Formats: sequence, C-alpha cells, structure tokens
Amino acid sequence: MRMSTRAATAVAVALGSALVLTACGSSDSGGGSDSAEGKVEGTVDFQTWNLKTNFKDYFQGLIADFEKKYPGTEVNWIDQPAENYANKLSADAAAGDLPDVVNVAPDLVYPLAKAGLAMNLEEAAGKYRGEYLPGAWKSHELPGMDGVYAFPWYLNTGPMFYNKKLFADAGLDPEKPPKTYGQLFDSGIDMAKRSKGKIAMLANIPAVEDFGRYGVELMDEQGARFTFNEAKGVELVTEYKKLYDAKALDSQALTNQAEGAGRKFQQQSIAMNPGGALDLQKYKKEAPSLYRNIGITPAVNNTGKDNMYVQGLMVNKQSKVKPAAVAFAHFVTNAKNQMDFAHEVTVFPSTEGSLDDPFFTKEDGTDEGRVKVAAAKAIKTAVNYTPAVFSEQMKVALRNEVAKAMQGKKSPKQALDDAVAECNRLLKTA
Amino acid sequence: MSPASATGRAAARPAEAPSRKEAPAGGRPGGEGRRRRIRTQLPSTPWLFLGPGLLIVAGFSLYPFVSTVVDSFTDRRTLIGGRYVGGANYQELIHDDMFWTGLRNSLLYMAGVVPLLVVLPLLLALLVARQMPGIAFFRSAFYTPVVASVVVVGLIWVWLLDDRGLVNSVVTGLGFDRIPFLSDSALLLVSAMLVTVWKGLGYYMIIYLAALANVPRELHEAASVDGAGAIRRFFTVTVPAVRSTMVLVGALSSVNAFKVFSEVYLIAGPSGGPGGDDTTLVMLIQRTGTGLSGRVGYASAISVVVFVITLGLMLLVLRANRKEDA
Repeated sequence: MRMSTRAATAVAVALGSALVLTACGSSDSGGGSDSAEGKVEGTVDFQTWNLKTNFKDYFQGLIADFEKKYPGTEVNWIDQPAENYANKLSADAAAGDLPDVVNVAPDLVYPLAKAGLAMNLEEAAGKYRGEYLPGAWKSHELPGMDGVYAFPWYLNTGPMFYNKKLFADAGLDPEKPPKTYGQLFDSGIDMAKRSKGKIAMLANIPAVEDFGRYGVELMDEQGARFTFNEAKGVELVTEYKKLYDAKALDSQALTNQAEGAGRKFQQQSIAMNPGGALDLQKYKKEAPSLYRNIGITPAVNNTGKDNMYVQGLMVNKQSKVKPAAVAFAHFVTNAKNQMDFAHEVTVFPSTEGSLDDPFFTKEDGTDEGRVKVAAAKAIKTAVNYTPAVFSEQMKVALRNEVAKAMQGKKSPKQALDDAVAECNRLLKTA
Repeated sequence: MSPASATGRAAARPAEAPSRKEAPAGGRPGGEGRRRRIRTQLPSTPWLFLGPGLLIVAGFSLYPFVSTVVDSFTDRRTLIGGRYVGGANYQELIHDDMFWTGLRNSLLYMAGVVPLLVVLPLLLALLVARQMPGIAFFRSAFYTPVVASVVVVGLIWVWLLDDRGLVNSVVTGLGFDRIPFLSDSALLLVSAMLVTVWKGLGYYMIIYLAALANVPRELHEAASVDGAGAIRRFFTVTVPAVRSTMVLVGALSSVNAFKVFSEVYLIAGPSGGPGGDDTTLVMLIQRTGTGLSGRVGYASAISVVVFVITLGLMLLVLRANRKEDA
C-alpha cells in the first residue's frame, strides 16, 4: 500500500512538473527560413477572413486553376468568421497550427512577423515586387524589421454615406457634402442646432485613422514612439468635444460600435456614417426610404489622401510546403485573379496598372458605379494611416482617453498625453 | 459452465454472498494463485476508477491553473515565451488604474446583483410552486432566459434600452426625458445588472423549487393554526427551511457576479463603457491577455487575483453559514 501511494505521488509530481515545464516552454514559436526554393508541390492550407459565404465559387475556381497549373499541389481552403479573427490567429500560432497562407492586415502580420512566423517576402519573392503598386507592396513593411511580410491583396477605401434628406432638412446643400474636417465640424454644428439636438452628424468619436486623415503625425520617423498628442491631435479632439457638447455627435458615441453606428444611420438619427457595398444592399432591402436619400462621398480628410485599407497574404515561415505556399499566395494576388475578384465585389486590385482598366475609370450610371470610380481614383494616392504596430489594446486605450476628453473628465491635451504614454508603454512591451 | 453464466448467477443470488467472496473480482472462477494475484492488485483498483477523472481534472483544470500561476511571474506574450520577472506584474497591477476600476465594478456588480438573485427567485418559486392549471407554462416561461444565448439576450436588451429603443419610446411618450441607459457609465452598469438578474431568475428559481418541495407541509399548517398569516409564515417557516439553499444561491451568484463578462461586454462595448468606466476584472483579463499582442503574463496576474478574491468570498460565505448552523 505504501509503495503504491509513493508511486502515485511520484507520478503525480512528475506529471505536474512536466505540465508546468511544458507551460514554460510552449510559446516560442519562431524558426524556419525565408527561402522558397524548390519544387512547387504538396498540400497548402489557405485561410481567408470571412469570404466563404459570399465568394465560395470564386475561390473554388481559383484553387482549381492553381492545382491545374501546378500538378502535385492541393489547396485546403479554410475560412474564418469575421469576429475574433485575431484571437483565432493567435490560438493557431501559439499551437503551431498556423496555415501555410494566411489572409492578414498589416496590424495582424506585425506580431506574427515579430514572433518569427511570417516569411520575409522581400527575400523569398522579391522578384514579384514590380507587379504591385509600390505603396501596396510597402504596406506590409514593419517598423523595426527589414523586409515585407505579406503579398498585397485587395485594397479599399472607406467611403462615407450621407443622408441627403437630413442635410436638406438642416438647410445644408445635399449635393455638397463636407470634404474637409473643417466643413464637417461646421455642418455638424448647424445640423444639431437646426434639429434641436435630435439629428447628429456622426455616431463615433475619432479613431486613429481620423487622426491620420486630419494630418496628425501619428509616430516619429523611426516608428519607435507615438506622437499623436501633438498640437494637431489636440485640435482634432477639441473640435470633436465641441461637436459632442452641441449634440452633433450621437449621444451614444462614446460606446457605439460599428454595428450600432450602422443602426443609427439606418434609423436616420445620424446624417453620415462609413459604409460599403454590402451596407448599400442592406439599406436597399431593409430601409428603402433611406436608400432613396443616400449620397456617397469620400471620407473627409485634410491631407488630400484617403485612408486605404489593405488586405494581404502572409506565408507561414514554418510551412513545410514553402515553394507551393509562396506560389499560391502570388497566384491569388496576381493581376488577373485580383481583377476577377474585383468583378465579384467592390474591392480594388493592388497590382500595377489594374486601376487603369476601364472597369475602374468609366461610370455605369449607378450609385455603386460612381462610388467605384471615385474610390479607384482616390486609392492611387491613398495611405494606410493606421500604423501596423497599433494593436487592439492601443485602440482601446486611445478610445477610452478620447471618451474622457469628450466627457470633460480630462482636457484634450491631457487625454492625448495619457493615450500616447499608454500606447508607447504597450509598444515597448509588444 | 461458462464464465458469463457464473457471473449472471452470482449477481442474481445476493443471498449467496459468502460464496461470491471466494470468487475472484468480477465473478470469474479461478484458482488460488489467481486469487492472490488479484488481491495484490486491490490497492491500485481505486486509482483505475479514479484515473480517467483525475487525468481530465489534471489536464483541464489543474494544468491551466498551475500554468496561469507560473505565467503570472513571467512577461509572456501570446506568441513570445516569457522570462521570469518576479512580482513585477503584481506591482504593475497595483499602479494600474484600470485594475482598480475593474475591481470596483466587479464588487459593485456583486453587491447589486446578489441580493436580488437571492430574494427574487425565491418569491418566484413560491408563486410557481402552487399547483394550478397552466402553471407549467409559467415555470417554462421563467426558465426560458436561462437557456437563451447570452449574446442574443444582450443584443435584445441593447435594442430595448437604446436612446430610440422601446423603453425610451415609452418614457418619452409619457412626457419624460430620455434615460441614457447606454451612454451613462452608472446606468450602463445597472442595465447590465438587470440583464444578469433577468437571465438568472429562472435558474435559481429551479433550485428554490427543489428546496421548497422539501419543506414539510405540517409546519405551514401548524403555523396557520397558530394564527400566522402568509407573510409571517414566509419569514418563520419558509425562510428558515430554505436558508441553506439561500446560502448556496448567494455563494453561486456572488461568484458568477464577480466574474461577470458577457453582459457588460455586450451592453457597454469591448472598451468597457465611456472611457472604460464600466470595465470589470474579467473584461480586463480578456482585453489584456488575448489577441496577437496579448500580455499573457500580466493577464495571468489579474486572473490569480480574481481567483484569490473568489476563493475568499466562498470561504466567507461558508464560514457565515457554519456560524449560523452552530
């Protein structure tokens, strides 16, 4: 009996020690090389971000074409829902299960590259650089790291929808929506005054891309620290505070999420909101009276450059089929396949010359066509204002500090100083 | 005779237990040597039964717990293994305003929710405990929120409490100003508490129903004979009879309230209300420790603190219960 107890205790202690040691050593996940030399063959795991529901046929055709072009390859397509995508990636990465080719945005690829999980494509696929728009290729360059860590894929800008009827009711010209922040602030105050605070211009407080579009320097030249508490940043928050006090911002602006803001626009309690082709279809179906009055305009900016949203394809540095993974990521992002995808949905190819195609330069008489042509023109000079190092935690820190400024709990300057201090602290520990 | 038939017969004849004593475990016939071998294995037999359960507990409870404690002394990130940093995470926690905000909100949540969840389900259980036609419908109706998805429930309440939602439409229709349920920090927390109470009523009601079924009818009859009315019977008969269940409900609801996440996340948003004023401790753990840049070490330190506080709460409740029993 005594022996058995001892044995059981020993096993338990050993098991416990093993488990604890496993915990200590489980997360260093880097390794692998940046070379993609070798034969293109094997099974490539390909992960997209919420694309299967609407574009299943397109991707199945794309995969079939690739497998035909490279006999001996097979593509296993996985699609993840939009929600909690970053958490899904982190769980896969920590478990060593990251797919070979992964749909990412610059802020997602940064921590993966830093952990040694993303291939440096400047080394592995630098020969393809010339096929892409220079700005798009550079969009996955990361501060403090040499190289490029994802193939640029589709691009988009964030057009704004506005309610022409609410503009007209407030005595504003419905055919001349605001183009700059100054015009936006003036129109917002006018609208709130004339509607006696019932109609707000916007549903959200400024996010990091608003700071960029306003012309605020977000980071220093080395990308080593944040600087958005400079005078222009303080000015932006001060102006938003005036909007908030005048009820030109929705009363729930401090807590609204994108879904809530969309609902406010649909309820016609706010006059402007970011939107896309899918929103337009939704309004057409669910709110025909709103749909009839929707105007579409580029997002306001003081820089002359729109915000550009970039999607990319990262290649897992630990992939066992690197040549095939790189070939597939390049195949998906080549000019022909990006153009085909742009015919499926309003996105813009990141490949050189594609935006000069008549498909993007000639209007077809519809609202959607007008948005597409305007956005394609804007995207040539657009900038991705959100720094790749700006993590979710930093977004929350900025949002919370701006909210405190709106509530008057802190001055705009103090709020931004605190936000910058917190973001710099998070950057150091990233 | 086949071994199978021997087993069947032994099981069918409990009166012949002495004869089974000679048979080896499992009722299989065998010689002296075989009996000895099986006897020597007897001490380990319980471990064989316990083994699967212990492994599951070790893998899914003990290991994550130990791992969390170990991580709390490291600077581990989601994708980067940690180095030992001693008590640095705990020191940082003391100076982190958001931690104190989270602690305050979690305690407030508990203080607001627990009394309601101890008393209201009992009253509800008393109502539906009566036998009358159609009462099963009401029992099911009160239990429905328990089985509903918390996300769906949260979204429904967001729509109801919106500035232009049903509740505010009624309020403004009656000539009052809109109530800023979803923009005022204090009201946001109260709104989330309401959802928790509404969703938890049915669950605790079922627990009370089981307890009420065990209250002897004679006690109520005797109290009635002595002239006690319904209210007096409630305080002198019902409450003492279900007191231990009330303690259980209090303990369960206080632990759940202290660990609240979903309701506040859905109603106040991922940033925890205006300026993060409604952040709870578990929301802070989620925000700090998840995502590609998650600070797992720091989030683990907060988790350990939550564990210690929860454990303390449970011990307090148990001690209070024991004192009253004495």
